[in-house]
Amino acid sequence: MKWLELVVVAGATFVAAVTVVVLYALGVRLTAIAGDVGTNQPRWVRPLSYACFGLCGIAVLFGLYLIIPYFSK
Amino acid sequence: MVALVITLALFFDFTNGFHDTANAMATPIATGAIKPKTAVALAAVLNLVGAFLSTEVAKTVSGGIIREGADGVQITPDIIFAGLMGAILWNMITWLKGLPSSSSHALFGGLIGAAIAGIGLNSVNFVSVVQKVLLPAVFAPVIAAVVAYVCTRLAYALTSRHDPETGSKLTQKRGGFRTGQVFTSSLVALAHGTNDAQKTMGIITLVLISAGSQAPGSGPQLWVIGACALAIAVGTYSGGWRIIRTLGSGLTEVKPAQGFAAETSTAAAILASSHLGFALSTTHVASGSVIGSGMGRRGTSVHWATAGKIAIGWLFTLPAAGIVGALTAMLVHTGTVGFVIAAVAGTAAVVYMFIASGRSPVGHHNAVEVDEAGHAVRFAKKKAAAVSRSNNPKGGQK
Repeated sequence: MKWLELVVVAGATFVAAVTVVVLYALGVRLTAIAGDVGTNQPRWVRPLSYACFGLCGIAVLFGLYLIIPYFSK
Repeated sequence: MVALVITLALFFDFTNGFHDTANAMATPIATGAIKPKTAVALAAVLNLVGAFLSTEVAKTVSGGIIREGADGVQITPDIIFAGLMGAILWNMITWLKGLPSSSSHALFGGLIGAAIAGIGLNSVNFVSVVQKVLLPAVFAPVIAAVVAYVCTRLAYALTSRHDPETGSKLTQKRGGFRTGQVFTSSLVALAHGTNDAQKTMGIITLVLISAGSQAPGSGPQLWVIGACALAIAVGTYSGGWRIIRTLGSGLTEVKPAQGFAAETSTAAAILASSHLGFALSTTHVASGSVIGSGMGRRGTSVHWATAGKIAIGWLFTLPAAGIVGALTAMLVHTGTVGFVIAAVAGTAAVVYMFIASGRSPVGHHNAVEVDEAGHAVRFAKKKAAAVSRSNNPKGGQK
């Protein structure tokens, strides 16, 4: 039984999924803050939300890069 | 014989496609992120692309479960025919029941049964069966459920908004997750294409090699790749609406943030397992994710009765497909007459199940009920939030 591989797969799944979800959730949150009317929020909120979505996209693309044999071999 | 096995393999690919559409598209359809028909079309295209992206065909059809190769038994087209028959019939039965079950397990089961009946017990490597089929089937849903649970919790914690002074709930504005679902579910569909079309390619290539029309050890020919990609895409497009209904609304009520978390976990698990070489079944992972995300959101319940039914379906997959595979192998063994009987009986069973499904049709039109329910919930959201706040005072402080 390849226990080590099982642990590695579980760990990788956990890290990847949490990364993507946290980044995207932060993006959603910051977009929501930026969209609030009548409150004065710092100017960096909206750009930061874009940055979160961007990082999330990069994380996904990196995952694709890893699994498509054409790129990784 | 060769032509027939190839046809059967492509039909298996087709059933694999419509069986597994649900894994990627059940949750976005349930939350109304994508319209049902658009969703299956998107999944079909991505499966097609995925099938071309990766053609890493396993050298052995069964991945070492059956002792094939130089020092083992010779897998004949007869065995593959019988194995495919078992796999297809089991896929059809579970589809009729609306149960998500693993197509690869059905294929393994069919092949194992056929090999035992056709060659003998010693042809099967049982240690390999436990390691590569049984244990992953236990761990896949557990890993996916835990990850999806944590992700759902995080997604809700990070986006829950309260007025800092009064502590009352602000508009949550989680609509962004619905957009995100389009991407995450696409990722699952793509991952499915890179995984599942390969199995059929491997089978057809093996049949061609054993028939002597292709050099041993060579990769799949272009028309094989194309045909397999097309078969799985058409299957996906035809949509297993029954299974979509089970996964999308039968297990738990899915909201966008939850769906996003579940799909991300599914995609991450499949991609990680296929990259790191510990094969997990897409179906097991997707079902686990949906259950995990259902446990993660406050105020949702998981319908454990449905989950139990699915689990029982998984238990039966190997033996049931194996028995059909074994019976077919015995029939084929008796000669041409037996072979014809097996082929006719198999076709008749498939046709019968299509007719039986017509008695209670489930299509995109009534999987839409789920979609419309999603819209209704959206309108009533503030009221629902108020209710849940009053029911759950703790939620207001977080």
